[in-house]
Parts: sequence; C-alpha cells; structure tokens
Amino acid sequence: MGYTFQFGQVWPFLPRLFDAALVSLQLALLAFCGGLLLGTAGAAIRTYGGAWARRAVKLYVTAFTNTPQLVQIYFLYFALPDAGLVLSSFTAVLIGMTLNAGAYLTEIQRAGFESARRSELEAAAVLGFSRLQQIRYVVLPHAMRVLLPPLSSHFIIMTLGTSMAAVFGVEELTGEALTLSSQTFRSVEVFLIVAGFYVALTLLASLAISLFARAAFRVRVRPL
Amino acid sequence: MPDLVIRGLDAHYGATPVLSGLDLHVESGATVGLIGPSGSGKSTILRTILGLLPPSRGEIVLDGRRVDYAKPAEVRALRERVAVVFQQYNLFQNMTVLQNVCITPVKIRGRPRREVEDEARRLLAKVGLADKLSSYPDQLSGGQQQRVAIARALALRPEILLLDEVTAALDPELVSEVLDTIRLLAREGMTMMIVSHEMGFIREVSSRVVFMADGRKVEEGPPARIFDAPQEARTQSFVSKILRH
Repeated sequence: MGYTFQFGQVWPFLPRLFDAALVSLQLALLAFCGGLLLGTAGAAIRTYGGAWARRAVKLYVTAFTNTPQLVQIYFLYFALPDAGLVLSSFTAVLIGMTLNAGAYLTEIQRAGFESARRSELEAAAVLGFSRLQQIRYVVLPHAMRVLLPPLSSHFIIMTLGTSMAAVFGVEELTGEALTLSSQTFRSVEVFLIVAGFYVALTLLASLAISLFARAAFRVRVRPL
Repeated sequence: MPDLVIRGLDAHYGATPVLSGLDLHVESGATVGLIGPSGSGKSTILRTILGLLPPSRGEIVLDGRRVDYAKPAEVRALRERVAVVFQQYNLFQNMTVLQNVCITPVKIRGRPRREVEDEARRLLAKVGLADKLSSYPDQLSGGQQQRVAIARALALRPEILLLDEVTAALDPELVSEVLDTIRLLAREGMTMMIVSHEMGFIREVSSRVVFMADGRKVEEGPPARIFDAPQEARTQSFVSKILRH
C-alpha cells in the first residue's frame, strides 16, 4: 500500500474532536441512565405487575427490539413535529436511544430480577420490607451482580451507537469526523484518530459502570 | 405482653389441606415446642401466623385483636411484633453480618443507625459472633449463619420469636452452638414457638409440647407427659420410634 499518512493537517483539530467525543459520551450516558430507569421499571412490572401492565410492557419491548433504531429515531424526528412537538436533533436522538435502551434493558434486567432468591425475598417480606424496599435492597443488588457484564456491554454498544446521531446532524464524534474529513481531505487519518477516541470512550464507559455498580449496590468484585 | 390465640385454623396449599381445625394458645413467656412427623403442618403453623400462607378458615388473635390477613397494614403490624428464624437462615448474601442485622431496624423502621449498631454488636456478641461483624454470609459456617439469623430476628425486638427447624440444615457438631443460644433466650423469658426434630432439646426447653400429625393437633401437654406418658396412640407410636434410637 502506497499511502503516506499525513497527520500534520489533522492535529490542530484535536480539540474539536475531543469536544465532539464529550457530546457522544453525554448522549450515551443520558440515554443509558434513562434506559436503565425505564428498564428497571419495565423489569419490575414484568416480574411483579398485573396482567395488563405486563402486556403493555411486553408490547413496548417487542416494538422497540424488532425495529431498527435508526427507523425509530427517524420516526420521532419526523412524526413528532407533525404532532406539534419540535425537537432539536440531539433531543430526538436522545429520546430515541433512551426508549430503545429501555426496551433492551427491560429484557436484560428481567433475567436478573428472576435470579433473586425466593428465600431471601421471603425473609425480607417477613422482616416487613415493602415490595419496593425488597427490590431496592434485595433484588437489585443480586441483579446487578448477575447483570454487570451484559449491562456494561450494552452500554458499550450504545456508546458506539451514538455515531448514528451523525445522520441527524448532531456534532458528535462521527459527525465531526465527517465534517473534518471533507475540510482536510485526510479521511483515513481522521477516522483512525476517531477510532482511537471510540476505544477510549468504551474503556471509560465500562470503568464508569463498574464504579457505579459498586457504589450504588455494594456489588462485591472479588477475585475468584 | 404478647398473647397469641389460634382458633379453628384451616390452611391449604392449593387444594391440599395442610392444617385442619387447629387450636393453640401461646401465652406470654411460654416456650411452645411443636413436634411431629414431616408434613404434619408444624412449619405451616408458623408460616400462617406470619401471613405467608393466608388461613382459609378460623382466626389468629393477637392480644385480643383478630388479625385480618387481607389487610397488608395489619400483616406488617404483626410482623413488627413477631419475628422468625428459618431453617435455611435466608441471610442477605450481599450484606455483611452487621448490615444483615441492622438493615431492618434502620432502613425499614427508621431507628437511629448508631443506636441500632450498638445493639447489633451486643446481640452478635451474645450469639458468639463479636469477631464476625464484617464477614459476608458465604464466609461463615452454617451454625454461624444461623446465629446471625437469630441476632437479626432479635434486633427487631420481637415479642414472639418463631423458630422453624433452625438446626435441621446444620452439621451435628454445629447444632449445639445454636441450641445454646436458644436456651439463653428461653431463660430470659422470650416467648417462642419452636419447630424442631431435636427431641431432647424440645423436652428440655419447652414449657409445653404440641404433637402434630396430618395437619391436626393430636396432643398437647407438659414435656414430661408428652414424652413419658402420651395419651394418644399416634403420639405413643411417634415417641416410641424416637426413643428406640
């Protein structure tokens, strides 16, 4: 291959890429946290809710896990203004990614909810824990231990998935890279650097999630 | 001063009757031993009192007030006064020994953490686990876990303590440490209902023994009478089988 790398023209734009990476991370974090809330509620309803509530959650999960995320965001982006709700592209992507994450995380967390030992729940009930207190103190700590690997891999998928926002003109990492490559014509260099940024983002993401799990649920990470 | 009366109690698992027409009185300070073959309904009585299995007929009366098991508030009020220790300990695996004992008084009942922790340390010292405060359940032996479960129940300051075959899952050499703890409680005048297969222990610690079979109370009386001079044929056969080995 006779390509000569010329990073010189790209270096001056590093701060711009860094800012764009922060936008990507922000999008991933917000959508993941929102999705986690939706998913926890969804899993709680699927496990303990009434028949109609369970059916409604199932419909939501089926709808969002069986259509492409890009289509979901397009739908929000173009359908909501017709309903009188004009969203910025960042907000539209954020809402779309949150709803999508909520559906997947409902399914992931349901497995964790079911892993809580019946005997411990019974002990909690007899000690006077309400259903919510049982979920907070018994189910979630158990679930988190089982779910840490699938949750953090979903977070990574979402972090990488933020590149979809480029399609809607959000100035995140991929969007910024497209702009830069057309300004400098050094596409290979630009996308190589951007790939490096994504690796750094995902490493940061998985570190963040394990710190969060340890702080919030006292998940013990013990050497085996 | 707790006073628990059970009248004409029926309970079912699905369609299977597990308790039929049970009458029982647990007066303050009594230690009632429940014995009988497996499946006779001993543990079911405890589960029914706690509202884990709603009664299908009859009533449970605590201090002259009938408990309405259809009302969650009444069940919770009862569970504030009646504590239970299970055969399988059922400790919270993600919490240390101290956290297991403190979580309910602090988080559910809103008592001050400092006060509860002091009390928890005293209780854990009493059951011989002063040096295990920051261990996790899976680092303890069965006997130690069971003593944590007893401390956890006592931290609720219960008026009645229900013990459901608390030594049945333990290795023989660990049984005595748990029984010593219960003996201590009986001496202190704790009101208890004890389901156990440790006949020697039941005989020693109970103020009254109830023999159950097929979901019914067959015979009730002081330990000496039940074990040495049972009146009913069913009790005689059970007791003679135990004494033979």
